[in-house]
Amino acid sequence: MDIARRVIARAPAAAGAPRLTVVTPQRGRGAMPTSEELNELVRAVATNGDRQAFAVLFKHFAPRVVTYLVRGGTPAASAEELAQEAMVVLWRKAASFDPARAGVSTWVFTIARNLRIDRHRRDGRGDAGSDHADVDLDAQPDPAASPDEALDARQHERRIHAALHRLSAEQARVLHLSYFAEAPHAEIARELGLPLGTVKSRIRLAMINLRRLIDATDP
Amino acid sequence: MIRHHPDDALLMALAADRLARGPAVVTAAHAEGCAHCRARLRELDVVGGALLEAAEPAVLAPEALARTLARIDAPEAGGVPGDALRAESTSTHRTARSPRSAPKQAAAPSRAELRFLASLPAGMAWPYSLRGSTTTPWRWLGPGMRWSRVTLADDRGANVFLLRIAAGKSLPAHTHDGIELTQVLHGAFDDGRERFDAGDFDEADGSIHHQPVVEPGGECICLASVEGRVAFDGRVARVLGSLVGM
Repeated sequence: MDIARRVIARAPAAAGAPRLTVVTPQRGRGAMPTSEELNELVRAVATNGDRQAFAVLFKHFAPRVVTYLVRGGTPAASAEELAQEAMVVLWRKAASFDPARAGVSTWVFTIARNLRIDRHRRDGRGDAGSDHADVDLDAQPDPAASPDEALDARQHERRIHAALHRLSAEQARVLHLSYFAEAPHAEIARELGLPLGTVKSRIRLAMINLRRLIDATDP
Repeated sequence: MIRHHPDDALLMALAADRLARGPAVVTAAHAEGCAHCRARLRELDVVGGALLEAAEPAVLAPEALARTLARIDAPEAGGVPGDALRAESTSTHRTARSPRSAPKQAAAPSRAELRFLASLPAGMAWPYSLRGSTTTPWRWLGPGMRWSRVTLADDRGANVFLLRIAAGKSLPAHTHDGIELTQVLHGAFDDGRERFDAGDFDEADGSIHHQPVVEPGGECICLASVEGRVAFDGRVARVLGSLVGM
């Protein structure tokens, strides 16, 4: 069974034939594709132009990219347009994606962020002429990484994910707002009931704690 | 050896694209030359990816996937590979991490830009994060002090400037109620707290009243971004304040 069917079949409410649709059935957390499955899906897109695999990736990432962009202040219509653009970039650059260097979610995050920066830049210049941006894999570690380093990079990524899960709810919230909020400091102050002047030290504390957890997590 | 780095909160704001353009180009200029901070930024991208995974999915238009597939099938949509050579379409910190992509800068520098670059000391790296920005010619600020206003392509109002101070001279003393970021591009100074060499980064908030002194060995060039109101001491410094527009 190919990767797209395997992932879809695991989703309880979507156990029929895979369909090309974004009407995603309710999926529990257990049905989230694993990072290995995401890697396989990107490989299927790269090697076979596999549209089913692309559809699974789209259903997983595009709605989350929209959430990320909208929370950051991008209007909903532009956010959906940019999320589509991010997925087009994923399709086109799939062949240059190297799972040894970074995970798919890290890659998609950098694509979405860079597209948003480019959009702001074009808007700032009033240059509406170009409707696409080049985004490549520069956000990934340098390609010269040896196999050992690549293994380290994968392990390191797993450690970071594990450390994030072990952060306190409040510090996890601080990180979430730091990345997602349109005005992180103001929103952190409001949500946590803190004076604005103390927010930066809270962010630093969360980062210090995350670093401690990353270093303390066994690979 | 680089000893002064942007702190984690600042690097995170850069990775999360939550910095204003002025602070972003100065922080990115540091990361370009600092393997340590590039590694931190890669970690922070992993954090961003993990948070993206955990985000509540939005509800998309039913035809969103079909529209995306149509864009993939359209021959010109999404950019042909050669189009990646287009200048100024890259993100600040992505390029900051990868000076190797510098040849992508396709637009030829203007005569004025070339003259400005030629005025820089031999061997001084020009930050890639400033590509697309324009600089005024060096302007007199006081004995042994010159400055150049940097205008960013995507935020013309950002207070970004270069200071060029001769050996042994002081930078204008000042306080500010916002954040001032400084990246040392060439030479070294001592601000009474610590020494800052080429490649070092400094973040100073309003609580710091500093008057950096350039090391006797040679001139110093810094890239700086200031937010908030700045109060300079003395006549010369007031001139800078009015010229920079603060």
